[in-house]
Amino acid sequence: MDSYDAPELTLRQSAFSRPEGICATPLQKRLESVRKQTSSVPTPPRRRIPQCPQVQEDVDPQKVAFLLHKQWTLYSLTPLYKFSYTNLKEYSRLLSAFIVAEKQKGLAVEVGEDLNIKVIFSILLGVKGTQRDPEAFLIQILSKSQFPSENREGKVLWTGWFCCVFGDNLLETVLEDFTCLPLFLANGSESNTAIIRTWFQKTFDCYFSPLAINAFNLSWMAAMWTACKMDHYVAATEFLWSVPCNPQSLNISYAIHPEDAKALWDSVHKTPGEVTQEEVDLFMDCLGSHFHRHFKIHLSATRLVCVSTSVASAHTDGKIKILCHKYLIGVLAYLTELAIFQIE
Amino acid sequence: MDETVAEFIKRTILKIPISEMMTVLKAWNFLPENQLQTINFRQRKESVIQHLLLLCEEKCASINDAALLDIVCTQVHRHKKIWDVFRMSKEPGDDVDLFDMNQFKSSFKKVLQRALKNALTIASKHHEIVKMDLRSRYLDSLKAIAFQQYNQVFEIHNSTLPLQERRLALDSRIIHENRVEKERVQRITQESFGDYPQPQLEFAQYKLETKFKSDVNGGILAERKEPLRCLIKFSSPHLLDALKSLAPAGIADAPLSPLLTCIPKKKMNYFKIRDK
Repeated sequence: MDSYDAPELTLRQSAFSRPEGICATPLQKRLESVRKQTSSVPTPPRRRIPQCPQVQEDVDPQKVAFLLHKQWTLYSLTPLYKFSYTNLKEYSRLLSAFIVAEKQKGLAVEVGEDLNIKVIFSILLGVKGTQRDPEAFLIQILSKSQFPSENREGKVLWTGWFCCVFGDNLLETVLEDFTCLPLFLANGSESNTAIIRTWFQKTFDCYFSPLAINAFNLSWMAAMWTACKMDHYVAATEFLWSVPCNPQSLNISYAIHPEDAKALWDSVHKTPGEVTQEEVDLFMDCLGSHFHRHFKIHLSATRLVCVSTSVASAHTDGKIKILCHKYLIGVLAYLTELAIFQIE
Repeated sequence: MDETVAEFIKRTILKIPISEMMTVLKAWNFLPENQLQTINFRQRKESVIQHLLLLCEEKCASINDAALLDIVCTQVHRHKKIWDVFRMSKEPGDDVDLFDMNQFKSSFKKVLQRALKNALTIASKHHEIVKMDLRSRYLDSLKAIAFQQYNQVFEIHNSTLPLQERRLALDSRIIHENRVEKERVQRITQESFGDYPQPQLEFAQYKLETKFKSDVNGGILAERKEPLRCLIKFSSPHLLDALKSLAPAGIADAPLSPLLTCIPKKKMNYFKIRDK
């Protein structure tokens, strides 16, 4: 694999060497096979950048506060053709008209739905990894009806934003006229999301695809976020496993005190400044063996569907909630990577 | 709007004479003035109530709103009840606390719960009342577990193997892999769970404070004296059935951990586990 030598970050794609046939435990064997089954795209084994992000330029905590503590549904997005940051007002107008038209068609009207809406496109400053990343932008659908005066903002009905964080290192050469913002996050009703997607697809010839997160990537997230230094923890580190029993479903929620999770991680973590595959495996293995000691159940034979930490929480259905502004960029970087792999 | 809330509001409104209704509703201040104007108070009381309930439904009245309505009614009809007067005083030398509503509410609730338990115990001529670590939505199952009645129904068929496997076993050309192991697992599972239908529980919760020990991952957390603090929750529409199927499915070892199999026998589904 090539080595990228980007000055701003130490992301390197290097060959991951693990001697063949060395799978120490039945647990690790199962982990290995689960990984192989669930990765639809061969994910290159890689070492990670340090979990604490580089200086977050221009990210004003107050401006991005509304991005936190909300559940976002994730999509990957192919590059936008002939999208221009200077036309945002025009896009607001066109999208607004489109939404009203779609709703009046009766295709997506909810009971009592308000058609008196306003659409706002705006730039999200600082939500990027390097200068080469395109600017992130935000769309909000606001209800106008309760606040007739121009100065009062209406109630936000739907929010969606597009971003690319440290994406340029992974994207292939991008042709002119294309803007690459591979990660799309939406909060609000499904019907609104569908309408927005349709408009974008028609206008910029792009394609949205729901971004599912498999168990392999959930484990990575759990390990990386547990590794983050926190001044104080707001939540336990929690995992949700779904067990395929017949005929009844069984869910196992496994929450560990965040300080204990961190202690476990610190004990596992060997390479300073980087997180490796081995460390992630070992971390998950340890949690699994602690569980097995008590309950005699092999978690590796079940399906990991959700991980939750004080930094962020993620669900396999492609839902994310970011809880800590300090690591916002780090979380987005990983999600951008997942989005890009899904597109390519 | 909850059915209970609807019923509560309905019964409260029924007690109000039509002549006073507008006063009460205005004092309640839950439905806006313009909506109240749309109500025809000259029609039959049932129709008025129907209309009001519809408006409350639209505004999603909560139990708090209903409670407030009740208070307003009591206020308006205070002369219809006989009131007793009580005097409360503090011990001389006690601090003068500022009144804290939250603290008052929580303290009041706790004392009320205790008083309720006492009343129940004494009135039924029992000696002691203890809350068990057993919770579920399924009242019948709770009763079955509490009184150990679940194992009185015996299933009739002689074999524990599901029908399919039995049929397959008859054909001698088919060899099951690990047949011996599978049979062992089935036998042990049956010993742990019994032959009878399992009582229905939907969750079990374990608070663990145990040290991390692993033979395989030796060295990890070896120096740490403190235990790992974990909270584990199993949930399922039918937990015991699901647990019973784990070993045969290869997801768990047989025998399953006694922490799980003991649930019906110990009549508990909330556990605190510490190292000995």
